[in-house]
Amino acid sequence: MVVKVQAHVFSILLITVVLAVFLVIINRALKKFDPFDEPKGLVLLALMAVETVDKTVRTDVNDEIFENLGPYIGSLWGYIFLSSISGLFGIQAVPTSNYSVTLTLAIITVILVEYNSARYNGIKNYVHGLFEPVFLFLPMNLISKISPVISLSLRLFANILSGGIIMSLLYTAMSFFSSYIPLIGTFNIFGVVVAPILHMYFDLISGLLQTFIFTSLTIIFIGKELPQE
Amino acid sequence: MERGIIAIAAALAVWVGFGTTFAEGSVARQAVESIGKNPEASDKIRSMAIVGAAISETVAIYGTLIAILLILVF
Repeated sequence: MVVKVQAHVFSILLITVVLAVFLVIINRALKKFDPFDEPKGLVLLALMAVETVDKTVRTDVNDEIFENLGPYIGSLWGYIFLSSISGLFGIQAVPTSNYSVTLTLAIITVILVEYNSARYNGIKNYVHGLFEPVFLFLPMNLISKISPVISLSLRLFANILSGGIIMSLLYTAMSFFSSYIPLIGTFNIFGVVVAPILHMYFDLISGLLQTFIFTSLTIIFIGKELPQE
Repeated sequence: MERGIIAIAAALAVWVGFGTTFAEGSVARQAVESIGKNPEASDKIRSMAIVGAAISETVAIYGTLIAILLILVF
């Protein structure tokens, strides 16, 4: 029996290892750091990242959730952004273009939303909210609880996947055109000229944008379900 | 023959993005306008704009889902 393993598995493991090594290095640097010194280098980078994440999280949720949600949002940022731009480093199977990865991330987010909603509104109010405005609306309310899983996961998945497909189509077309040039026909000269700008959009800008949207939606969905004070 | 018809159906399913484009454009336009009117509320406006764009994008995402299902299942 031959066991087939998707190529994505190796890139997922690779991203995880790279992220873990990077975080260990930052942890070393932070432990050596004296709080009364002026931060510079890696420590400054880490502090700025944490400050930015804290500022975006704090606007929508209360202080108690903020303590626990901040690290999750930070790790989402690191993982999704690094995965999305990993196409630039020559990885063919980008982790976020595998539906299992994005579905897992979306399920974690939706479980967090429902858990926090039940915890801060009280179980009684939470169950009561399922039957609003009348008893017959139960199936619709259940569907509206499930639909964020589909929309969150497919948004990230489809954006990153379509970027990869368009880039590979572009390389094929450009190698077809450059095969008409005599002498250097085997060298893909048009691809070298056209590709960098499109890589900038489809890998870098699109990856950053989708990461921002995914994390913002996580924060906003959690904040929306909380009771208004 | 059958594969070709399925491919055409999948391409038609992605056409729901046509309306979504206008919807998201109008969300962005209104957000920019209201930030111009009162810049101090920009944090709230940004989160509302992202939610609005995300919800109106859902239709396009369902179109993508149907296209993927058409290609992979049949």
